[in-house]
Amino acid sequence: MSRDQSHPRARRALAALSLLPLLAAGVAAQEAAVVERYGPGPAASTFGEPFQYLFWLITTLVSVSFAIVLVLLLVPVLRDRARPGHKASYDHGRSLHDKRFTAVVSVIVFVVLDAWVLVVAMADLRDGYWKIPPPDAPGVLKVEVLAQQWAWNFRTPGVDGEFGTADDVLSTNQLTVPEGRPVSLNLTSKDVIHALFLPDMRLKRDANPGAVNVAWFEATRAGEFDILCAELCGYAHYQMHGKLHVLDQGAYDAWEQEASRLAVAAFDTEDTEAHWAWAWQE
Amino acid sequence: MNAPSLLLAGMALMAGLLPTPRASDEAHGDTAGLPPVHGLDARAPIGVPLEIDAENWLRAPGEDWFAARAEQEPGRFTYVEELLDAGGEMVGGWKDAQGEFALRYDEDEEEVAYWQRVGADRLTRGRRDFVQFCASCHGFEGDGAGRSGMALRPPPRNFQQPMFKFSKVPGDFLPSDDALVRLVQRGLNGTPMLPWALSDEQLRDILQYVKSLSPEGQGWRDVYIEIQDVVESGDDPWAGKEAEGIARGEEVYHGVARCHSCHPGYVTPARLAEISGTAGEGRPDLSYPVAKATDKYTVGGHPMLLLPPDFTWHEVRSGTELRDLFETIGSGIGGTAMPKWKDSVPDADIWAMAHYVRHLIDQYKGKTEARAAFMAGLRK
Amino acid sequence: MSGDHIHPEPTTFLRKHVFSFDHKVIAKQFLWFGMLWLLIGGVMAMMIRWQLANPGQPVPVLGALLFPRTGGVIDPASYNMLFTMHGTIMIFLGLTPVLIGCFGNWCIPLMIGARDMIFPTLNMLSFWTVFLGGMVGLWSMFVPLGASEAGWTGYPTLSTTVGTQGTGETLWAVAVFLIGASSIMGGINYITTIIRLRAPGMGWMDMPLTVWGLFFTAVLNVLFLPVIGSAMLLLIMDRVFGTAFYVPASLLTGGSGGDPILYQHLFWIFGHPEVYILILPAWGIVADLLSFFARKPAFGYKVTVGAMFAVTVLSAVVYGHHMFTTGLSAMLGESFMLLTMIISVPGEILFFNWLHTLWKGSLRLTTPMLFAMGVIFVFGLGGLTGLYLATISTDIFLHDTYFVVGHFHLTMAASALFGAFGATYFFFPKMFGRMLDERLGKLHFWTTIIPLTVVFSTMFVSGYSGMPRRYYDHTSADYLKPLQHLNVLTSVAAFVLGASQLIFAWNFVRSRWWGKKAVDNPWEIGTLDWSMPTPVPHYNFKEIPVVHTGPHEFSHPALKGRDWIPQTEKLPA
Repeated sequence: MSRDQSHPRARRALAALSLLPLLAAGVAAQEAAVVERYGPGPAASTFGEPFQYLFWLITTLVSVSFAIVLVLLLVPVLRDRARPGHKASYDHGRSLHDKRFTAVVSVIVFVVLDAWVLVVAMADLRDGYWKIPPPDAPGVLKVEVLAQQWAWNFRTPGVDGEFGTADDVLSTNQLTVPEGRPVSLNLTSKDVIHALFLPDMRLKRDANPGAVNVAWFEATRAGEFDILCAELCGYAHYQMHGKLHVLDQGAYDAWEQEASRLAVAAFDTEDTEAHWAWAWQE
Repeated sequence: MNAPSLLLAGMALMAGLLPTPRASDEAHGDTAGLPPVHGLDARAPIGVPLEIDAENWLRAPGEDWFAARAEQEPGRFTYVEELLDAGGEMVGGWKDAQGEFALRYDEDEEEVAYWQRVGADRLTRGRRDFVQFCASCHGFEGDGAGRSGMALRPPPRNFQQPMFKFSKVPGDFLPSDDALVRLVQRGLNGTPMLPWALSDEQLRDILQYVKSLSPEGQGWRDVYIEIQDVVESGDDPWAGKEAEGIARGEEVYHGVARCHSCHPGYVTPARLAEISGTAGEGRPDLSYPVAKATDKYTVGGHPMLLLPPDFTWHEVRSGTELRDLFETIGSGIGGTAMPKWKDSVPDADIWAMAHYVRHLIDQYKGKTEARAAFMAGLRK
Repeated sequence: MSGDHIHPEPTTFLRKHVFSFDHKVIAKQFLWFGMLWLLIGGVMAMMIRWQLANPGQPVPVLGALLFPRTGGVIDPASYNMLFTMHGTIMIFLGLTPVLIGCFGNWCIPLMIGARDMIFPTLNMLSFWTVFLGGMVGLWSMFVPLGASEAGWTGYPTLSTTVGTQGTGETLWAVAVFLIGASSIMGGINYITTIIRLRAPGMGWMDMPLTVWGLFFTAVLNVLFLPVIGSAMLLLIMDRVFGTAFYVPASLLTGGSGGDPILYQHLFWIFGHPEVYILILPAWGIVADLLSFFARKPAFGYKVTVGAMFAVTVLSAVVYGHHMFTTGLSAMLGESFMLLTMIISVPGEILFFNWLHTLWKGSLRLTTPMLFAMGVIFVFGLGGLTGLYLATISTDIFLHDTYFVVGHFHLTMAASALFGAFGATYFFFPKMFGRMLDERLGKLHFWTTIIPLTVVFSTMFVSGYSGMPRRYYDHTSADYLKPLQHLNVLTSVAAFVLGASQLIFAWNFVRSRWWGKKAVDNPWEIGTLDWSMPTPVPHYNFKEIPVVHTGPHEFSHPALKGRDWIPQTEKLPA
């Protein structure tokens, strides 16, 4: 028994609905005025461009698809409303034509939405995230990351390039790396699972207790960036943040000299409990 | 063509397209060859106790403290004539709103002191919050041997040894509750001791529990000990004439106070000779700090080596506001080689040093090139 | 009457209303139970949103009651409890009882022409087990140190005694285990009933799609709940008996012992099928409702069934997309990426069939129909954003940010909940003999879908801007401070969304006892359940019906004077 399909009410409802885009636009404008940043900010690593491209590719594909769905949803709402004398078409969609049409659309959707993205993503992965530089390659900076509740402990090998020596540079929540050189990371945790999130570098990797994860990145510009934790690790998960300092080559070398020197000054040979370096994992 | 074979075909295609994954792509790499880190081999205890059955009597500040507080915060403490002590005797003394304080005469020690009664329910709440918020680093027994605190330097405080570095209470005195609350609420820069988002009530309950960890006859169970507030700072005499303060600070730092015997010296050897009036005072590595051992804090049974901060490089743990710096310099750092300067030099000189240190931080800390240039100038 | 009743008519109050074997009573028990827990979970969500928009501010009204020691402010540990219990409650104690417990129980026997489920005792047990699970969950909130704080996913070692002391976490695992057991019982019942008790003439391809959705859900339940049951058992053993399933022997040096990643595999082997468990009944209901209210056969019935089947089969082999950042090998990662994209294809086919069902129909825009179409909207939006998360190189950035939160709320919460709302408005007349107010229903729909879209679309923006999830306070980190206004917008819209559910609550309670009396078949539907009188007698069918027609025979050209036909009648030649 259709109850509310009389046209004047439908027209009023539609008129009310058409205010929605205006409302949405108003909300968006208000937000644009007060929100200081939409989006993650300009990337600062070699992962940035591929990420940007892929993100916008997916956004375009998804937006077009959703727009099509909305149109196909709205047309029957506007055109096929029940009214006296109006009959629905009787169609089970069982015909061969219908089945073929379904199949063709599915293939097109898979190829356009999925396969295309898949191909681009796989290239990104093999040329990017998974292309971990071999540890003995020249210019690679190795960093051991020991996560804990609720801080990041970073260890770099210092001027002598070896872990476990007096000049290892240790730092809490501050990581200094050079620009333009690959930085290889070994991540583990003292207690629960954490995740190192470097949003400007577009990098995230879990730090698991009892195992070492390997990741890498290469910074493309100097500056100060943020380190966040991205795996629930207890009540102070939100406070587990730090700063990533990227220095240009010359400044980094000078910094490393000084940092190693100060590390040697603080080093206590007898305090074996504090020497937490591990053999580098590839 | 059915779904399963399509799926298998897809997977075969994938496998064919893939290069052999490198060993580095596998998770759970073998971590053998690492030194066992004490404590990390222990699994977390099951069924940690969460209940304290007995009330505790803990040391409270003395008569002067109460009198001063009553003046400054009228209504917080009241003096009553009929206060029952723990032995049931009537003595006069100070009470707070909860009636928790009492004067007690300790017959063995023949000493009269203020004690605070902390009820079992309050200790239980404090214990539970401690387990929830603090035990991961400070250990379930408050001994600093928490799992997350392993290998941390500086290590987490061991509360079974009632001594604090950064409470800003002068010398060997114990900090008052207010001083402890301040310490926890502000955290320690550059360490995992963050400014935790705990309410005042939660913090005070936790602190009563922490205080109850004092061994018998020590800390808050020591009848002789004195409890004090954060060292008094007064007004900054150099406000409005900062440049003079900084200059005076440089003189005191490298002169009377000889801070450069531990911390870096931030002047050239020539300037140092000028300030101190003698030549050859500087160490060869004047612009680097010198680590000092302290047997008040031990790790693994031997004295801990502490590096005094280089203000242009390291974090100053206990705050970098001028008043914070005054308080740290004035009260010293308990148990370490950093002495208390209050009453050893005039307050104005301590403020001057605070200005000077703050100047160093502002000018050079975090400014790689400026600092490098400055240090190069000192080391010529 | 022909044949025996499956069970005799109850006489005592306890047998009629408490320990009933009647699937219709059990359905209502599940409904009230689920709605109560949805309310609790919803209030928790409101508190979470309050804290995020106003960090460190006391919660109005509830704050003084629930958080006296902090002056009404939610402290970080309690905040973690809130989002943990919110997730656990909404999924296991809210959606599952309503969608699967209530509508599974109500629809299956009535739609297939049976007098009751094939195992009525097991059915009753399944309700009381989930009830017990709920009680254990409630108990966990009152133990020292409070309820679980390790997220509804409960990853070790945070959920072992390494990360969490106290009995709350253990009780959480027990509650999940019990609720899982309840769903397994239900699943066994549903599968066997559908296979064995279909009325003569009710072939597999003559069942309403609601039954198909519930059938596949039941299959997934039976297959995968044991996996999470075992995951929980191992966790309980680690917490109580000090075993080392998830705890490495040495936290730094690894070595022999447990592996926290084991839990993640176990959890997600269940966890991914779980999201399909929650959505399949909604898909079935939506497919039916669209046909019913477009007065048009469901387009591509067999293809729809096939798509649901494909999703069911594939659901187990896509779970690794939750673990892309844990350090999976490249080959595993790529396989999961490919399979996750493949599983989107049957979903897309469903959309195609739904939209085609509407196309050239004769649409009756009743409240159930609005919610069914609402599912197309929210699942379209949410499902498409899954593509970002299926793709590893974008997921590396978006994992554990609000992007994921927006995605799964749209696909799991909004879509499943809209399916549940649609079903509630639809079945209410038969369940309770009265109509839910249509105007309030439409108001409920619009005041739900608009703020809902704002809330979760804003989360996509927050997540893309790098805002991690499960954070107590986003203003603590410099990187996130500029995004705080997004939190405020999300929360304001969330408060509106929460408030508008009161419209539904009011409508439900009022109509239940004082609503307009319903005729036997107010929507003019031909499925067997609507051929029953209202209230449905405890034996359902006096005589087991013989089925001659499919469930979606609307607007057949040969039908005269009406556009529908009961399944017991033959189509005119």
